[in-house]
Amino acid sequence: MKTANLVKILLTVSLVSAVFLAGCTDISGGGGCAGPSAQGWSGFVPYKQVLCFGSMEGRVIAVNPAARSDNKTFPVEGEWAYLIKIASPGAACGAMCGSSTSAANMGIYATPVTSGELVYAGTYSGKIYAINGDRGVVRWVYPREGYETVGGVVGNLATDGQSIFFGSSNGKLYALDALTGDFKWEFQTSDKIWTSPVVDSGVVYSGNYGGNIYALSAEDGKVIWEIKIPSAIASAITVSDGNLYFGTFDRYLHALDKASGQEKWKISGGNWFWAAPVIRDGVAYCACLDQKVYALEADTGREVWQFSAESPIVSTPALSGDNLYVASNNGKLYSLDIKKGTMINSASVGFTVYAPLYADGATVYVNARNHTVYAVDMAKGSIIWQFASNNLGN
Amino acid sequence: MIDIWNVAILNPMLNGLIALSEMLGKNFGLAIIVLTVAVRIILIPLTYKQTQSTKAMQSLQPKLQELQKKYARNQQKLQQEMMALYKEAGVSPLGCMWPLLIQFPIWIALYQSIMQALAATPENLLLLSQHLYSWDMVGQAIPLNEMFLGLKLSQPDPTMILAILVGGTMWLQQKMVTPPATDPKQQQMTSMTTMMMPMMFAFFTLSFPSGLALYWVVSNIIGIGIQYFTGGGWGYFTFPSLRPQPQATTQPKIEQKGSQDGKKGQN
Repeated sequence: MKTANLVKILLTVSLVSAVFLAGCTDISGGGGCAGPSAQGWSGFVPYKQVLCFGSMEGRVIAVNPAARSDNKTFPVEGEWAYLIKIASPGAACGAMCGSSTSAANMGIYATPVTSGELVYAGTYSGKIYAINGDRGVVRWVYPREGYETVGGVVGNLATDGQSIFFGSSNGKLYALDALTGDFKWEFQTSDKIWTSPVVDSGVVYSGNYGGNIYALSAEDGKVIWEIKIPSAIASAITVSDGNLYFGTFDRYLHALDKASGQEKWKISGGNWFWAAPVIRDGVAYCACLDQKVYALEADTGREVWQFSAESPIVSTPALSGDNLYVASNNGKLYSLDIKKGTMINSASVGFTVYAPLYADGATVYVNARNHTVYAVDMAKGSIIWQFASNNLGN
Repeated sequence: MIDIWNVAILNPMLNGLIALSEMLGKNFGLAIIVLTVAVRIILIPLTYKQTQSTKAMQSLQPKLQELQKKYARNQQKLQQEMMALYKEAGVSPLGCMWPLLIQFPIWIALYQSIMQALAATPENLLLLSQHLYSWDMVGQAIPLNEMFLGLKLSQPDPTMILAILVGGTMWLQQKMVTPPATDPKQQQMTSMTTMMMPMMFAFFTLSFPSGLALYWVVSNIIGIGIQYFTGGGWGYFTFPSLRPQPQATTQPKIEQKGSQDGKKGQN
């Protein structure tokens, strides 16, 4: 009887463990059984001679490509790193860590934006930081010290030079004064916002996870138009030539008239259009999780060409010269001829890539999932330098 | 192997759950409840078989105890006699475990489906894309509405309510099927088994998405219901006020031991 009981206990414990292990293996990402932790996937924004980005450890970092190429000790020549600490990792914790007061780091999803001498970063812990781009010191933080955070910021920030606009997991769209960080207005939507707002000619466009698209006055947040679409918006919105372009979770790419919100056309892909469409000279380059890049006539949606990568494309492509640079999530980079869609060259960083690409000439900058930034010469198909963001200390 | 698992089991269940949520007015909490009920109903034959098998094992306990006493010093002979007894009675010592083992892939898939569908982080949402069908209904349901009865299903319950419910219902279910032990050592072990699992799950509830805890609570309540109707009432669970008088077969032994100890103490 004792043996039978022991067998029962061991079997039960091992089965329970098996359930949890099975539940944890497929949703890999380093976050344990409650799902992948929030690690972020920020892209780059240029500021003078440096490139600023949010790291997976919760730092806003400015790297100087010239200094990195010369392998100088970080930080030099305009470089800096600012570590954003949060009081408790509330988004990933429950009652078990409700009373925690120790500092923790959390990755940054939003690609920073710049205005004047400030670099703005939004965090998953629900704060906006304005950092001096020359020195890496904080000018202001919103919400102010002692006030509750606004809910995780996942989408990119947008600015018109006067204001900073961002959407939050609490479903609100905010406008702050770009210089002071003072609150200007907020607009409550029907669901959480994980995608990026965009501002164009005094109008802020944003979607939410309730399947709504809003056009708001940048001045006071008043609704200009609002539409409901069958499925929620999956990608950031791109504005070009009077149209809004974005992907939705029902696998469509939409083009709307930005003045009225009326649909102009839509095409379906084999999976979500997660990456923001990139548009130039009347052609929309749209990367899809079905592993393809679709080049479409921006006015009609007619296909110009398509290119198949080796794995799904999460990262927003970058245009430079006559090339479109694309990264598939297995870490392979492609240089494509924008006219024909043929591959000119390829390279690999060897690690998963989710973050948007940034291109300067033939050099493409990649913030990969192994906490490393790569500068890749796409003309030669080789890595120029790499910079690990996870060994900068605290 | 993972691909086969995903294609054959996980993906159908995940997409079914999401589609169900859309059909139930974008209510994912309700979808979890409905799917859990459906799965438990489908598995009733197996659960019943498991209950019967456990009962058969329990009916052999007096004979097993006799054998244990008889061959206390000869383990090899004891094992042989026990196996002979099992064979004669037509039961397998692990027979009650097989139905449980068969059910486990389904529980794992249900568990994974809930975890993945909830997409607590942006990374999780992105990974979800690999498992979804191209059904319009699924595309329109994503991302799921995570609010249910004031709970944020993708986040752990900040109160202790769900943890208590999970632990309490699991404990009750265990008590209903666990016979009281006669031997104090065995009683200790049984008591540990009965307490360990509920405590483990209550602890998990504090850090896992509350959607999963909802599934545990519903599953436990259904389990209690099935046990109540197939096992004849509350089984071995006794309400404090309804606790029956100690049975004549077991109590004297304990009293005897107690009185002996008492005498030793007096000496």
